[in-house]
Amino acid sequence: MIPTDINEIFLFAAAIFVLLAIAMFYRAVAGPTTQDRLLAVNVLGTNTVVILALLAAGLDQPWFLDIALIYALLNFLMAVAISKFTVERGGVL
Amino acid sequence: MSLVAYTLVAFILVTAVATALFRDVLSAIVVFGAYSLGMAILYTLLLAPDVAMTEAAIGAGVTTILLLLTIARTSRPSTERLFEPINVPALVIVGAFVLVLVTQLLPEMYAVGDPAAPVWSNPEVTQAYLEQTYRDTGVQNAVTAVLAAYRGFDTFGEAVVVFAAGIATLLVLKREVFA
Repeated sequence: MIPTDINEIFLFAAAIFVLLAIAMFYRAVAGPTTQDRLLAVNVLGTNTVVILALLAAGLDQPWFLDIALIYALLNFLMAVAISKFTVERGGVL
Repeated sequence: MSLVAYTLVAFILVTAVATALFRDVLSAIVVFGAYSLGMAILYTLLLAPDVAMTEAAIGAGVTTILLLLTIARTSRPSTERLFEPINVPALVIVGAFVLVLVTQLLPEMYAVGDPAAPVWSNPEVTQAYLEQTYRDTGVQNAVTAVLAAYRGFDTFGEAVVVFAAGIATLLVLKREVFA
């Protein structure tokens, strides 16, 4: 089942990135420290942006990129909030 | 398409179970962020961009910060155990409930794009909304127009409920400001 059509290749790549997300999720669960988990979820967020971009190309739906942009911004915000929380306990924003 | 969808559903299931079972609340919040990422992609795949954007904004942004603020003001017990032990009676009840939902309710629902679904079986209504929406409201996305314009009072009522809940919380805590 090697894809030949260019859109199929994009979708196939997206599926592989989702599989990689499961691999990263192992790190988020196994830890052992909160920093490991935070980093794993941050990479997962970047991964999500890539998946959404691949889906946008593969399904010819350019508005997927809007959601990818929102996620890129909010993923950064989430990482900053959790980092700040772990460094100075209680300070979030 | 379906390959992406199936792996995504597996990912979402694993993250949801992990979020429920984590002993450490901060780890649970972080893993909940991963769950929200999967949900946003799934909503996008199901061609619901407005829901996906809400999930992106609420799930990754607001919920995380809200929950962090909460545990900053409460205690966060440290523990050796990674996961909470599973409560067997609760698992049995929830399992039975999910079984009933999946076996009884799911077959009744229409598949995506099913021509027998009410949306397509009343084409006049759908067509009328698609034709009138832009003229009435000036919003290009018909779904957004229905949510924000045609159902404006409904949304306003929801906002009132949230406002009332906030006031009630202040009364119970005997405070005058959220701080």
